[in-house]
Parts: sequence; C-alpha cells; structure tokens
Amino acid sequence: MKIVKIILQILGILVLIPAVAMATLRFEKSDGDGPSIIFPGGALVSGELHTGPEPDWSFTADVDTIELELDDADTSRLIWIMDAEGRAFIASGYMDNFLGRLWKHWAVDVDAGADLAVVRIGDTRYERRLVRIRKGDILDGVAASLIRKYAGGNVTPQGIAGMRAAIESGSTWIFELAPRS
Amino acid sequence: MKAKTYLITCVAVAAATVLGILFVPGIAEIFETVLLVFLMTNAR
Repeated sequence: MKIVKIILQILGILVLIPAVAMATLRFEKSDGDGPSIIFPGGALVSGELHTGPEPDWSFTADVDTIELELDDADTSRLIWIMDAEGRAFIASGYMDNFLGRLWKHWAVDVDAGADLAVVRIGDTRYERRLVRIRKGDILDGVAASLIRKYAGGNVTPQGIAGMRAAIESGSTWIFELAPRS
Repeated sequence: MKAKTYLITCVAVAAATVLGILFVPGIAEIFETVLLVFLMTNAR
C-alpha cells in the first residue's frame, strides 16, 4: 500500500510540473506584442499598418511564419503562410480530432464567424478577412506551397493530391487572407 | 511522504518551475519545445 502511495505522489508531481509550466508560459506571453511558438501573445501593436493597393502575396514564398491576431480575441499566434496565384493562405492542421481543435481553437472561432484579423509580416501589419477555402483548384497551389515550405520540399503530383485530400476532408483547414472590403 | 510534507514539496516544485521559467534564460524555450513535440506527436 505504501508503494502505491509513493507512486501516486510521484505521478502528482509529474503532472504538476507541466501544468504549472503551461500556466506560467501562457501568462507570461499573454500581454506581449506578438506570440511565441505555441502560446498566444497579445495584440499586435508595433509595425506599420499597410495601406494602399492589394499586395502581390507571392513575396511570402520566402516567409516562414507570420503573426496572426484575431480582432475578436486580441490575441496573436505564429502561423505558417502559403502563397498561390498571388494570394496568401494560412493553414490549421490536426483539425479532425479533439486535441487538434483544442490546440487550434482560433480556427474554430474563425470558421464560426470571427473572421477579421490582422497579420504582421516583418514590420508591416495587414488588416484581412479570413475566408475558409474548402474546395477548388486553388488548393493545388496551396498544397504545393505547403509541401514546398513545410513538408520536406519535394512537390509531386501525388503529394499535392494527398495534401488536397487532407484539406478537402477537413483534416487541414485553409483560410485565405482576403481583403476586408 | 506524509501529506503535509508532500504538499510543501508540491508548492516548492511549483514555485521553482514558475521562477525558472520567468527568470532563467532558456528554460521557457525548453518547456515550449517539449510541449510542441508532444502536440505534434499526439494531435493526429
């Protein structure tokens, strides 16, 4: 009986450490100007707000991650960006299971209608509307960009088809960074 | 370990974790990396 008690006490401490760490990290990051890898940051404050004509988003081909802030939440997170046909897209993976949706709850919020966002790329902020893309040939370009930048770089027709299937099945959600107006 | 000693140990471990993350350079990044690997491995 004593050994069971000792094991339970050790397990308790092993659960306590990550729980406290996560709470601390979340608190520490919550009011910063921008996010960390996992934990959301505060509103994006610094950086010039883009005005003028719609940019050609193909410049994001060389950008690894951008910072995304949802207007409704005033929180920000790091996220991948893909370009296709001069348009920009972001992805949310692991969306076909509970843990993934918990991790990427921002995507659930956007899909539910909280679609106004600000993205910061370098030192420039862009006001955008996130539009979920479920089907269409544009997804081939998005899939190719996703593979090229984040999945090993070997873009093949089979790879594109597999990625597009993941998108169309709802495993990966794709949102376009569309203009607000 | 008696209950009182255990609770004191838990408080000490929690305090050390918080202080380590807030004030020791690199600790926060290590925790975050471990968590990222866990999520990437299990959220599928």
